[in-house]
Amino acid sequence: MRSRRGTYLLGGLCLLGTNSCALFIPWLMKLAVEGLQFPHKAQHQPSHYALLIIAAALLQGIIRIFSRTTLLHAARRIEFQLREELYAKLLDLDLPFFSRERTGDILSRFSNDLTNVRMLMGFGVLNVINTAIIYLAAIFLMVRISPSLTACAIIPFPLMILGVKRLSASMFRRSKRAQEELARLSSHVEENVSAAAVVRAYCRETAQIEAFREFNSRYLESNMGMARLRGWMIPVIAATGAIGTLIVLILGGSRVIAGSLTLGDFVAFNGYLAMLIWPTVVLGWILNLMQRGAASMSRLNHVLEAVATVTEPAEPASVDRLQGEIEFRNLTFSYDQQTTPLLTDISLTIKPGKKVGIAGPVGSGKSSLVRLIPRLYPVADGQIFIDGIDVNRIPLARLRGAIGFVPQESFLFSRSIGDNIGYGKEEADPGEIAAAARLASFEEDVLRFPDGYGTLVGERGVTLSGGQKQRAAIARALLKNPSILILDDPLSAVDARTEEEILESMSGYYGDRTVLIVSHRLSALRECDLILVLEEGRVVEQGDHEGLLAMGGRYAATWHEQQLRAEIERL
Amino acid sequence: MHYGGIYEDEIVGKAYDRRLMGRFLGYLRPYRLLVVVTLLLLPPMAAARLAQPYLLKLAIDNHIVKAQMEGLPLLAGWFLLLILAESIFTYAEVWLLQYVGQKVMFDLRLALFSHVQRMPAAFFDRTPTGSLVTRLTSDVEVLGEMFAAGIITIVGDIMVLVGIIGIMLWMNLKLSLVTFSVLPLLVWVAFTFRRRMREAFRQVRARLANLNAFLAESIGGMAVVQLFNRQAREQEEFTRLNASYRDANLPVISWDAALYALVETLSSVAVGIIVWYGGGEILQGALTFGALVAFIQYIEKFFSPIRDLSAKYSIMQGAMAALERIFNLLDREHGESLGSTRGEGASLLPPPLMGGGEGGRPVERIEFRDVWFAYSGDDYVLKGFDLTIRRGETVALVGETGGGKTTVTRLLSRLYEVERGSIAFDGTDIRELPLTALRSRIGVVLQDPYLFTGSIEFNISLGDDQARSRAEEAAHIVGADRFIRHLPNGYGEEVRERGVNLSAGERQLISFARAVAFDPEILVLDEATASVDTASERLIQEGLRGLMEGRTSLVVAHRLSTIQDADRIVVIHRGEKMEEGTHQELLAKRGLYYRLYQLQFKD
Ligand SMILES: Nc1ncnc2c1ncn2[C@@H]1O[C@H](COP(=O)(O)OP(=O)(O)OP(=O)(O)O)[C@@H](O)[C@H]1O
Ligand SMILES: Nc1ncnc2c1ncn2[C@@H]1O[C@H](COP(=O)(O)OP(=O)(O)OP(=O)(O)O)[C@@H](O)[C@H]1O
Ligand SMILES: [Mg+2]
Ligand SMILES: [Mg+2]
Repeated sequence: MRSRRGTYLLGGLCLLGTNSCALFIPWLMKLAVEGLQFPHKAQHQPSHYALLIIAAALLQGIIRIFSRTTLLHAARRIEFQLREELYAKLLDLDLPFFSRERTGDILSRFSNDLTNVRMLMGFGVLNVINTAIIYLAAIFLMVRISPSLTACAIIPFPLMILGVKRLSASMFRRSKRAQEELARLSSHVEENVSAAAVVRAYCRETAQIEAFREFNSRYLESNMGMARLRGWMIPVIAATGAIGTLIVLILGGSRVIAGSLTLGDFVAFNGYLAMLIWPTVVLGWILNLMQRGAASMSRLNHVLEAVATVTEPAEPASVDRLQGEIEFRNLTFSYDQQTTPLLTDISLTIKPGKKVGIAGPVGSGKSSLVRLIPRLYPVADGQIFIDGIDVNRIPLARLRGAIGFVPQESFLFSRSIGDNIGYGKEEADPGEIAAAARLASFEEDVLRFPDGYGTLVGERGVTLSGGQKQRAAIARALLKNPSILILDDPLSAVDARTEEEILESMSGYYGDRTVLIVSHRLSALRECDLILVLEEGRVVEQGDHEGLLAMGGRYAATWHEQQLRAEIERL
Repeated sequence: MHYGGIYEDEIVGKAYDRRLMGRFLGYLRPYRLLVVVTLLLLPPMAAARLAQPYLLKLAIDNHIVKAQMEGLPLLAGWFLLLILAESIFTYAEVWLLQYVGQKVMFDLRLALFSHVQRMPAAFFDRTPTGSLVTRLTSDVEVLGEMFAAGIITIVGDIMVLVGIIGIMLWMNLKLSLVTFSVLPLLVWVAFTFRRRMREAFRQVRARLANLNAFLAESIGGMAVVQLFNRQAREQEEFTRLNASYRDANLPVISWDAALYALVETLSSVAVGIIVWYGGGEILQGALTFGALVAFIQYIEKFFSPIRDLSAKYSIMQGAMAALERIFNLLDREHGESLGSTRGEGASLLPPPLMGGGEGGRPVERIEFRDVWFAYSGDDYVLKGFDLTIRRGETVALVGETGGGKTTVTRLLSRLYEVERGSIAFDGTDIRELPLTALRSRIGVVLQDPYLFTGSIEFNISLGDDQARSRAEEAAHIVGADRFIRHLPNGYGEEVRERGVNLSAGERQLISFARAVAFDPEILVLDEATASVDTASERLIQEGLRGLMEGRTSLVVAHRLSTIQDADRIVVIHRGEKMEEGTHQELLAKRGLYYRLYQLQFKD
């Protein structure tokens, strides 16, 4: 915005130029009319003035083009810039923000709210400048003809401004509401589209339409409120100008009759007054734009001013390559400021190159625990250390660069499979991609697709099967060649044969990497150096497979149950 | 490098044009009375506006020039009256226009949304969410701009124009003709610009949709972007899309400015011509002085609607481009809809009733007969798949990942259509059944659970009354109530978008409870316990045992332990049925199943 000051100045100057021409024309007309009224006193022929008028008109047109393109292009550039800033901000924001906000709402801010702001910066600014110039010039010229008549003619204007001001305050409120309703509507659509399969499988189409109708009505309602206000504004403003003309007609007319005003002056005066009317009408529209723009800007600011809780360290520790020693020190964590923490007092040191398994019932906090290592959610200082350095002091890119993470829910981008697997590495070459896919037992599937690695997957990877998605996500993490590998229930969607294959090829890959595997299937954890059992956010058991079996606790019970089932089936 | 054609929305190239406007007028139909009133308001409004300069002329000619004061107040009174009338009419006009506009937009949005509900699942595989959201919101908003700019007033503007032309001609024929000589140029320019503007606007709309598609995806995948440190690259791609959107807009602005300036210039040029020509006439006494002044005023009034029209011109072209996209989506029905539901015709509005028992008598036999299916082209995912499920049976589908298990379940509920072969319920092809009748018999636990924003209870019942009454029971059966009761607000706890505030297992349990709450006749479980622990799984199995009794079920599972109760097990490999039989039979066969089994329980 600030950097565009020059552009706006230029645009303003152009407007000044084009408006000067516009103002010059009635003056020429005045001269022409006077010349016609008193032909013998006239210095020039009417055609002389006519030519001047045409010349001024041409000049006006040319400068007009410049003024409009300058200002409106600037608005588009500001929109571009703002959108860039908004997106950059999103990239900086953390998961707590995204779990609070709805996608449809953010989308609405990026398109509808931004449009309002752009309108304000373009047409709004243009018309404000225009109006101001015309007002000042017209009033100046009117004053030159007759100060007292001018004073009378503009009596209605301050009154109008007062009234309009009252209206615009409530316009701001209503605009904001309307934008919020639009965002809700857009969220509903976004959700409906994302849930297409559920909606169809459960025949919820009608219910969804009804819900949509509700949002739609509320948006309609808030827009109607705006319309009523606008309905008021326009005639009020238009009448103001006309009343001015009326005053001039009576007062000015009587002066012409009395001889204290020439007819030419009277006509010119009327001309200037007429010039005021158009911008005054536009003023109503600008006010509307301004209020809408301001309301929308405040919604954009909500994003621009959002504070990430996961931030770059203020004094980053200088780390080169992380070895992968992970230490939890009395780690206690909760998502919101809940009364009972979700993870309580977890203390543990994992030496580099160790394999750690994490088991525990649904909702016990396994995913939460591993999510904290790459700081997807904020951790308090002094609770998690990597290579002895507090994670909050490691630059984010360095920290995350050292971690390969397979989230519990596989998210793929709607790009090619190759692009997805190579996502973590700049310009990964096809060989690397294929190697990673092979490690994740995914290669065979990919090669069966007609386009191989070039196959496009749908949004979130919808055109792949559950197991394919999961293996793509594993391959993506492996290709990164991280020193810490975190796998959150990585084999939940694959069959026994594939699981076996993956576990086998991975055991060759692990090497001296630190590995954390979360799994419900204990068979996948057997080989781990250390297995943690979480329950309600606490480590209730830990040890290696044999040790835990010997302990005869929960792990042992689950293990035996899983074995027992196998036995039963064997019968 | 950029991600090529992936975020490139197709640009609707069809030249709709005249049909477009006609179709759009169809949406005005329900409000035709109001539209008529709006139109009827126009002549008095125009009259009130037009009479004002005429009064001025009278005042100058009859009073001021003649120095006759009396009668002037009366004239002023009339003038005031006209102003008042104009204001009232304008108010009514603006309000009515906005009213009709908002209503039409409401209807269009609803029509679009309802239409999207009729689209088959395959449509969503290819259409990015962000781009659809753009159509339903921004594209419709553009129409709002058109109403706000007052398309109906265009009719009024044209009427004013005609009126002014009439008066001018009546006042002075020659002078008028001279004035109008500038018009042909204007018309020519307007027509030349139209095509380019429209094309540019098409680009604008399409690029905005691309931008939003990309954005929507980024928001969903932000964790991945950040975990993989890809912010810079994503920003780069975003900038590319953002810049291409900006650049599509710039030429439109220039053309718009040119048109606007042209109109403005022409109006002043016309004044110049009048002064030139009219001046001569006055000197010859062929024209009164007042008439010349009035004429100049008329020219201004004449050009002001033209200026309005030119200002609205680009808005109109933008709206047309948006309309093209809207109608294009509405037309997408043909050939892509769920095909004929010969029993029911349009399947838009399914009856709210869901209960399993009420869809007529239960299905005795579900038969897949030589089913072939490909998601695209002839890349067959199922190749001649056969399967018969009898009432009350539990059939398990197992096999390697990507083998086509989920596809089988999708075909059963007709989320996709069988290509060759058929699926029949008691001998009736399911394509002959009304979609809702078919789907309300089936309760599916999808492999990827989806949760809505709303309470837990809503997520189980999806707002269905009968399901709501069974929600807690269902949650109990699948063992979800344990964690739900622990939540601060229990069943009223708010679930955030996609269930981000729940663990994956919790989401799956809720999605499972959903299927149970709808009490379906046929239960389809696609990896329904993949993300839950052994103890919870046991609870579910115990809970389900009673439920599955007498219910037909199709269970997909990788964990063979979860299908121990199945009556029959079917092994799918690359879209073909390889083996079928009971657990014992398959083990005895020592085939694929045996190998899978050995792997899972080796020790
Ligand atoms: N919507 C889709 N569009 C195109 N191809 C698809 C789509 N869904 C699945 N496929 C492809 O069809 C094949 C079978 O997929 P399906 O989901 O039926 O496998 P599955 O047996 O359920 O596997 P999993 O055990 O991994 O879930 C896979 O190769 C997959 O890539
Ligand atoms: N973003 C969040 N905001 C608030 N609460 C959350 C959030 N994510 C998870 N929770 C809650 O925290 C608890 C632990 O969740 P977590 O995902 O860590 O469980 P988990 O052990 O991984 O379970 P699962 O085996 O189902 O994956 C759950 O009860 C869940 O409801
Ligand atoms: Mg988890
Ligand atoms: Mg599947």
